[in-house]
Amino acid sequence: MDTRADLWIEGGKIRHCSPQQAEIGRETEVINADNLTVMPGLFDMHVHLREPGHEHKETIRTGTLAAANGGFTGVVCMPNTEPAIDSRMTVEYIQRRASNGAVDAHCCAAITKARAGKELAPLLDLMESGAVMYSDDGGCVESAEMMRRAFDYVAEFDLLLTQHCEEHSLTRNFAVNEGEMSAKMGLKGYPAVAEDIIVARDILLADYCGNRRYHGAHISTAGAVRLFREAKNRGQRVSCEVAPHHFILDESTVQGFNVNAKMNPPLRTRRDIEAILQGLADGSIDCIATDHAPHALHEKNVEFSLAANGIIGLETSLGLSLTYLYHTGVASLSRIVELMSVNPRRVLNLPQPLIASGEPANLTFVDVNKEWVVSPELFCTKSLNTPFDGYILKGLPVMTINRGIVTECKLT
Amino acid sequence: MANNLDEMIRHAAEIYRSRHLLTAEGLGAEEIVSIFKIAEYFVEQGINGRKRHDILRGMTVISAFFETSTRTKISFDLAARRLGADVTAFQATASSLAKGESLLDTLATINAMGADMWVVRHSQSGAVELMSRNSDCIFLNAGDGRHQHPTQGLLDCFTLWRRWKGEMSGKRVCIIGDIEHSRVARSNFLLLQTLGCETGMAAPGTLIPHSWPILGARRFLSSKEACEWADAAIFLRLQKERMEGGLLPANDGFAKRYGMTCSLLQKLPHLTILHPGPVNYGVEIDAESAADKRSVIREQVTNGVAVRMAVMSVLAQKQRH
Repeated sequence: MDTRADLWIEGGKIRHCSPQQAEIGRETEVINADNLTVMPGLFDMHVHLREPGHEHKETIRTGTLAAANGGFTGVVCMPNTEPAIDSRMTVEYIQRRASNGAVDAHCCAAITKARAGKELAPLLDLMESGAVMYSDDGGCVESAEMMRRAFDYVAEFDLLLTQHCEEHSLTRNFAVNEGEMSAKMGLKGYPAVAEDIIVARDILLADYCGNRRYHGAHISTAGAVRLFREAKNRGQRVSCEVAPHHFILDESTVQGFNVNAKMNPPLRTRRDIEAILQGLADGSIDCIATDHAPHALHEKNVEFSLAANGIIGLETSLGLSLTYLYHTGVASLSRIVELMSVNPRRVLNLPQPLIASGEPANLTFVDVNKEWVVSPELFCTKSLNTPFDGYILKGLPVMTINRGIVTECKLT
Repeated sequence: MANNLDEMIRHAAEIYRSRHLLTAEGLGAEEIVSIFKIAEYFVEQGINGRKRHDILRGMTVISAFFETSTRTKISFDLAARRLGADVTAFQATASSLAKGESLLDTLATINAMGADMWVVRHSQSGAVELMSRNSDCIFLNAGDGRHQHPTQGLLDCFTLWRRWKGEMSGKRVCIIGDIEHSRVARSNFLLLQTLGCETGMAAPGTLIPHSWPILGARRFLSSKEACEWADAAIFLRLQKERMEGGLLPANDGFAKRYGMTCSLLQKLPHLTILHPGPVNYGVEIDAESAADKRSVIREQVTNGVAVRMAVMSVLAQKQRH
């Protein structure tokens, strides 16, 4: 990122990467990338591609097209599909459906069968079929005993467990964060402490079970940031991710019963946002992940409490991160690359794409200073549920190259 | 006198900012008082007389109660009829809708038959606002979830405004009981504060919102403490399911600590007592206190029709111009 260089890519490989001009032939297409920054392909470790089972919201095809359009070359599909990703068959189905696309689609498999919390899924068989981590995402493994059993069962293989951290007994029928908005709007609240309790429980369990690997999904509270920071300082092998909406929007966004500001975990307070920004800057938080959660209009445009939780995120993540982290001085450009490319793959033990001669080309080209207006009608995702419609962002993905496929990002 | 009424409605419609009445939030003191003056006219002209007006003539009012109600429904229906509207009422439980038709489908279907004004009660906070965003009709919120019940708030304040001859500023009003689940409390706090009243509340900790300071009311430990401070007390109905749901321990003296009894009332000669109804006698208020001259519970019901007539007149006038 700090170097200016000529890149020559052929047959999906980087042939030449040097400040010296490449000696190219006449047929070679030259892309003037003078004002562009080349990053190792961005990676989103938390997306809901909805297939199999909910193809009216998104399919693996539309979801991976959206990922590439947003500048990503790799994603992890969460397991709350129908059926859940709890068998070799489903993992292989998803891998097959994604095999021709420009995006590497990995699977996060369920921890328990059908994500029901009653019995462990075949975790080792899932490992052999290629699952990269495990979670009952969409919900939390409620029983501490079940979570402990999962840590113990995969210990010898050092597999990664990740959690949607929510103490369900405190969040029943919630619609928004518990706080001023829930008090004013008469909506059932989700107290921040319900997230913190599970983060604390799991960190203690991971330690007790022999310093197991553990990853907190889409954390949203100041308490969770503090708990991860402290666990890391104690030498625990834990990591966590945050979604762009949780470092940009606060709970007041739900005013007027805005269903596109309804998600799980809910938007929190300014204080939580400050803590998350601090965590992003100091390394307590490892990754940015979108929690891309497409829903059809008829599932969103209903009574607020009944509206489906979640927003789309793949095509706004980079623009939002550059606008609200890089251009505000919270994070340097190389820190953005860590958060959106290097760290997700490190947490998952996946190989890192290198920008060097002889390496496969797995790249994202970014115009970090380009201003653009978020226009959901240009998105590749099937759904429109975003609170960022009409936002003016600074920083735009321009192109990705992966698996020999060049994708031009068309967000403007 | 009729010209005077027209003049008051025209004036109120000019300063009233919204097309609907969805929430008490954002209503200014001038807007509120201009509605009160119209309501006062209706009360003084004999609310119990059979005088019909033609202010809503030719308008179709849909009275849609997705949650059961007796008094609010009848109050709105009478108000609309006395203004000359055609009223079509339907009751549907949210659960029967959940079987098939969505709320917005129901709305579109009925609008296709021709409707001008909707009066809606719904069990979900925000449901009326959702409907108003998806239709060209006028909407009156007759209670949405725990969110708002603006006409109840207006009629409560109107009742106090009449009793206090328009002098609301500096008066102290407390609300006692289940604040957390109460749309009445949420509307009343906003309106009372806009009219210059100080507000207080008393309730068990499990029936108060976590971030209660945002409501702008100070807290008291008991109805006794609150009522000694206050000029008026609004008691809220305690739903049985709150106790059954474990939010209150059994036999822990709710009535004694948070209720109104005649022995307490004896020591409070200047207190005015309100209750949106229906009353659980012996829980929030005992029968003697409810019948006492300091109680305005019946007056509230009468005023309810007048306030709803006033709001409907203003919204119809606004629609026409």
